[in-house]
Amino acid sequence: MASADKPINTDVPEKDVFTLHFLQSLSNLRRQNTFNSPEKTNDRVKKIKKAAYVSMARAAGGTNRLWSRALLRRAAKENSKVVRFPRRKKRVTCLRRRRSNRRDPVEEEEAERLRNLVPGGGGMETSKLMEETAHYIKCLSMQVKVMQCLVDGLAPK
Amino acid sequence: MDPSLVNDSSFSPANPSSYTLSEIWPFPVNDAVRSGLRLAVNSTPSDKDVSTAAAAAAAAEESTVTDLTAGWGGRKARALNSEEDESSKMVSLSSSGNEVVRFVRFCDDLNVVVSVDLKDSGEKKRKLCGSESGNGDGSMKPEGETSSGGGSKATEQKNKPEPPKDYIHVRARRGQATDRHSLAERARREKISEKMTALQDIIPGCNKIIGKALVLDEIINYIQSLQRQVEFLSMKLEVVNSGPSTGPTIGVFPTGDLGTLPIDLHRNIYEQQEANESRGSHPEWLHMQVDGSFNRTT
Repeated sequence: MASADKPINTDVPEKDVFTLHFLQSLSNLRRQNTFNSPEKTNDRVKKIKKAAYVSMARAAGGTNRLWSRALLRRAAKENSKVVRFPRRKKRVTCLRRRRSNRRDPVEEEEAERLRNLVPGGGGMETSKLMEETAHYIKCLSMQVKVMQCLVDGLAPK
Repeated sequence: MDPSLVNDSSFSPANPSSYTLSEIWPFPVNDAVRSGLRLAVNSTPSDKDVSTAAAAAAAAEESTVTDLTAGWGGRKARALNSEEDESSKMVSLSSSGNEVVRFVRFCDDLNVVVSVDLKDSGEKKRKLCGSESGNGDGSMKPEGETSSGGGSKATEQKNKPEPPKDYIHVRARRGQATDRHSLAERARREKISEKMTALQDIIPGCNKIIGKALVLDEIINYIQSLQRQVEFLSMKLEVVNSGPSTGPTIGVFPTGDLGTLPIDLHRNIYEQQEANESRGSHPEWLHMQVDGSFNRTT
């Protein structure tokens, strides 16, 4: 408990990077879909959604953010790909050992709900969780805006 | 009053509870100490200050006496304490603190015992004034003097600025527990509430809500609505993607080259600002598509 108040660190996610990644993945999917069209719509929807989240995670700072890291790991597991992460300074085990300090049952219910929503929220302390939530919200809103513009722009006139 | 030992006691006789040196300090006093006392007393002209100086000196003597003679406590100590209380309430402690400080400095080279006990008396005074007891850190340095030792308790004195230490100073308020665990709890809680106010700024419409639970509810609703929107939009995009003919086709993009996008799409992405809550309605054709797809799956 030796640090002063650091300014809350939230870097703004970049629109360009996200758009680029997303469009690339969309074009990939489109090329795939022309070959196997009897696929059900839901699977395609899910693929698009996953592509959106993955490109957002990559655009929002890659593996520097906890939630994006968890997202990428989850996606990679589904694809059974191996993702290499750069070594972090703090190990996750330290965080888990400090779980016993997180008392205060009134807050923990709310924190529980947040943890379910935000990816990767299981292994975080409540204060860290708040930071990640803030960044996650910013990225989500950016993603929604970009997707909306894409849909409007690409819709058949 | 016993005039035999001290002739020039300058304690005002108007104060009924004032003490001569002989009554308080039954031990032989060397001249240096006595002159020191006189010096401290003489430097303050007013009566009140004299009484507080007397109280300070008395407290000093009293504490040493109580240290040395256990059985002496009795009536005089209690009277002294009551006088201390009264004087401390009347007069700001800083003045008496200064007196004590000056006394310490003067007696330092003369009588080390006195200075040590003065610190204790300072401690006792602080306790009597109703500030929080239990200076648990025990980091009472000699140069701390009458400023709050340890640095983690709030008293009502105005203290000298403390030297920066290497742990966090948390101001404990009156009536709150001061042990280590609750301090840590409080610091943690403050951190969390600060982050929550930061969250409140991001989310529109959260500024008016007061109360952590409601704000958190709002945040959770917002995140859920955002995620639902992503899902809707991805469904829309899927329709766009799987259509045989779309307006501007999504071709293969060379890396880092957004210039191949058609101009209007480019403009849309960078200029369009949609309010989030207003995206509730979707065009009709999407509804039909959605219903169709649902029929297929069920």
